[in-house]
Amino acid sequence: MRSIDHRILIGFALLIALIAIFAYLALFNGAVGLSWSDLSFYSSHHDSVESRIFWEIRVPRLVAAVLSGISLAVAGLSLQTLFRNPLAGPFVLGISSGASLGVALSLLAGFSFGHFGVLSGAAVGALVVTSIVMFVASRFENTTILLIVGLLLGYFIDALVSLLIMGSDSESLRVYVSWGMGSFSRLTFDGIWVFALCTLVGLVLVSLSVRYLNAARMGDDFAKNLGVNVRRGRVMVLLGASLLAAASTAFCGPVAFVGIAVPHLAFMLFKTSNHRVLMPASALCGVVLCLAASQFTKIPLNAVLSLVGVPVVLWVIVRGGGIRK
Amino acid sequence: MSDFLNTMLLKCENLVLGYGHERAVVSTPVNFELNAGDVVALLGENGSGKSTFLKTLCGLLPPVSGNVLLLGKSEWAARERARFITLVRMSGVTCDRMTVREFVSLGRTPYAGIFDGRSKDDERIVDEAIALLDLENFASRWLTELSDGERSRVYLAQAVAQQVKVLLLDEPNAFLDIPRSRKLFTLLQKLAKERGMGILVSTHSVEYAEKYCGQIMVIADKQVRVANAKNARAEGLLKWTED
Repeated sequence: MRSIDHRILIGFALLIALIAIFAYLALFNGAVGLSWSDLSFYSSHHDSVESRIFWEIRVPRLVAAVLSGISLAVAGLSLQTLFRNPLAGPFVLGISSGASLGVALSLLAGFSFGHFGVLSGAAVGALVVTSIVMFVASRFENTTILLIVGLLLGYFIDALVSLLIMGSDSESLRVYVSWGMGSFSRLTFDGIWVFALCTLVGLVLVSLSVRYLNAARMGDDFAKNLGVNVRRGRVMVLLGASLLAAASTAFCGPVAFVGIAVPHLAFMLFKTSNHRVLMPASALCGVVLCLAASQFTKIPLNAVLSLVGVPVVLWVIVRGGGIRK
Repeated sequence: MSDFLNTMLLKCENLVLGYGHERAVVSTPVNFELNAGDVVALLGENGSGKSTFLKTLCGLLPPVSGNVLLLGKSEWAARERARFITLVRMSGVTCDRMTVREFVSLGRTPYAGIFDGRSKDDERIVDEAIALLDLENFASRWLTELSDGERSRVYLAQAVAQQVKVLLLDEPNAFLDIPRSRKLFTLLQKLAKERGMGILVSTHSVEYAEKYCGQIMVIADKQVRVANAKNARAEGLLKWTED
């Protein structure tokens, strides 16, 4: 037991150190090098170019990367446990497709979704799909059915999006495609609070279901036998994970691979599937990965993440760490 | 020590079980009592309804009609019930990322708080359960690396850690060799006597049932019959095994 505790402590210390380094790089390193003195908070520098770069570009980008990392990783982990499927992720439920449809409607078909424009479109789309999935979840006990419904919904919505794409002009199409590549640079200072609030609520819902998640690793019947309220746990996890995935997709676009790959990375590092450890561990790993990817501002985010994510997922499959037996 | 023995733990009142009236497992309602200190063997052919019976007793399946009273009560909150009764099954999902110790520690779930933490007491109880089933040597191994026989003992250790009063076991010795089966049944006797547990164990090992269990319950031809283990054969309860 002792050595395991050690491993956990070292793991968390390592992750926090990495986050600190990447956060520093994200804030002060870049096309324009900044230092603390450029940002002096009291002096007349307040409106300087450096200060504006810092507060209006770098801080929102850092926050976007951190919140996305947390929400996608935690959503991915809890869905993998719920579906008992190591390759499940935030996107299997069709949530990202729903968000894409909202964005496509707003960009390509000219629907207006109010103040946040594209972001509201994504949020509305994600929420509509989430409610359909929740409706199905309340009707069926079987998680496999849910998985299939989510995937089918995704295909259906993708087809709708492709119809919209056919009828759109090239400029809107360009904006839509660039949204689909994912980016941490779209978050504005106003949006930070909404994103943070959604992440917080999602995290609370999932964290309150830790007992369910831990017992559900051995199947729903087993969990019931331990006195766990399976139905409630499932609904809370689905709701929380959907909210996390929807918020991240709305603000940063469909960010690939974090949801699938990070829980496996966290497991490799911590060698436990106890969600009391694995959930914070996944959140921190997600932050590290997203912060690292956000350093490459010139390359599309999803390209960077996939270059890291694909080898990891392949490794998991080949080594069989996730789907042994 | 013996003052808690013979208290009634579990009672079936006119119990009809199965999946709806058309698919009821028994044609005559079952009346049965399980007392502290009892080890009762549940015998019957494959598909006779042993597992359905056990599932109904522990509340995983609602009765078609009649009542199951646990400590005199039929309505229980799931979490509360899990502190008094559990069903140990040898099949089902196995998590590929869980160590033996972590699995045994799941037995403490009904006692854990909202964030599923484990107290010092919980850890001690888990250690004791591991020691009782001789699992110390592979407590840190992955669940998927175990042989079927080893896994049976791990499943039982988890139930011991759950500290229930009523222990239901579904064919626990299906994968065990002869010495281990014998050990298992002596352990069940010990748990019943020392901890005042009531144990109902389904098995195909008629000789162990006769030798180590106080009573034998048989499900055959949609009838449930119970007799003292010594007299079961004479009373014709085991006739179906010889046909």
